[in-house]
Amino acid sequence: MQAGSVYTRDRCVTGIHGLDEILRGGIPYGSTVLAAGTCGSGKTTLGMEFLVRGALAGEACAHFTATEPSVKLLENIRQYAFFDMNMVDSGLINVFDMDVLYSWLGLDKASFDLDDVHALIKAIVDIVNTIGVTRLVIDSVTTLCYKIKSEQLIRDFLFTLGKKLATLGCTTILISEITSATENAHWSSFGVEEAIADGIIVMGDVERMGHLLRFLQVVKMRGTAHSRAKHAIELTPLGVMLTPMLKWGAQTDKANRVGV
Amino acid sequence: MFELDQRIAEQLNAEVTLNSAIQVRCGNSNAFMVTASTMVPLMQMFEMGGVYISASRGAVEIIEAFKTIGLDVSHIQFIDLVSSGILGGTDVEYPNIHFVDSPIMLESVLLRTLYILRTINSQRNFVFLDSVNALAIYNEDRMLAEYLHTFINTFRQREVLSVILNVPDQTPPLVLSNLDLYCTDLIDRGQVVIH
Repeated sequence: MQAGSVYTRDRCVTGIHGLDEILRGGIPYGSTVLAAGTCGSGKTTLGMEFLVRGALAGEACAHFTATEPSVKLLENIRQYAFFDMNMVDSGLINVFDMDVLYSWLGLDKASFDLDDVHALIKAIVDIVNTIGVTRLVIDSVTTLCYKIKSEQLIRDFLFTLGKKLATLGCTTILISEITSATENAHWSSFGVEEAIADGIIVMGDVERMGHLLRFLQVVKMRGTAHSRAKHAIELTPLGVMLTPMLKWGAQTDKANRVGV
Repeated sequence: MFELDQRIAEQLNAEVTLNSAIQVRCGNSNAFMVTASTMVPLMQMFEMGGVYISASRGAVEIIEAFKTIGLDVSHIQFIDLVSSGILGGTDVEYPNIHFVDSPIMLESVLLRTLYILRTINSQRNFVFLDSVNALAIYNEDRMLAEYLHTFINTFRQREVLSVILNVPDQTPPLVLSNLDLYCTDLIDRGQVVIH
């Protein structure tokens, strides 16, 4: 009896050292991936390297920044040898300030209603469509969603945006800020992002005898039999590097936890 | 006058390949002689480059000790695990020293080594770990045994020679037995051996 052929989805090869091995080849094309992490865990660097590796392969990439001005973002990322400002100058990496986008759309307001959310989705999708963007990063979706007061509206926003971007063949990383990456934590600030995302990459710190080790863990990635192990990461000038975290050292020291 | 142990060079010449993992055992009083007797042939006879991980002493002290015996290690990259978090000083004159905060950040040491190996020009490289007994001061036995297993296999897979210095009577038995199991070669200049 002949075994049936196994269907495998085409992958967006991230190009990040070690991450493609964890994902068994990369992120399935058109996926929306939540990169949720604590402050200083390397989310922005990961997102930017994802774009740079795409740009090096000739893909059009876009970065929507809501947490810091684009000028500051680029200044910070220039310290990495993997980043080349020519990629921005030549239009391979397009960086957009969300504040500027809000102004264009007349959305200079404290909170967004349904019409505002739809206008924002249309603007992002139009940019992706016009430029032919295949890799997109929104940094951060948490800051963006603070203006959307209803949980239902956040869900609609992310679901519709993800669906439209997938239709365009765009692989998206939504960066999410969380306060804790321990086993009992939520992977998103509003609790709805994690349910809608096709993939979740958690980034945080393990405390070992007073020192913080950065880790990355892929907890979900639809369409791929990925590793779910914790990996230690280093942010090197050549980019993010990963190695499996030692099994005997993967938990934060219990003695160091407050109240234990 | 400082004398090298020529038998170490002979043993290296006869037995070692790039994907070997050598356990080098020394005692308290001969550690530097054994270290130098291993480093000199690697650098001069085999013309290898590489990474020296210093957990026993600050890298500056090691570089200057090599200088006193006329060994130029300017093209060897040092990863210093003690000067930053333990001694508290990283303002050094040598550009070939990299710092990791603490000897307990074992994965960071591995990743920093892999990063350096991606950046250096030499085609034939070694990683010299000085030393297991120094790492054992800070790391729990099971974690250190697991780390050495990962360390040896990582570099064997990449055809980078790993040289692991060890004072056996200051190394936990679990760690020592793992070294015996996973290393392909042994240079034994230890004064006391416990199994």
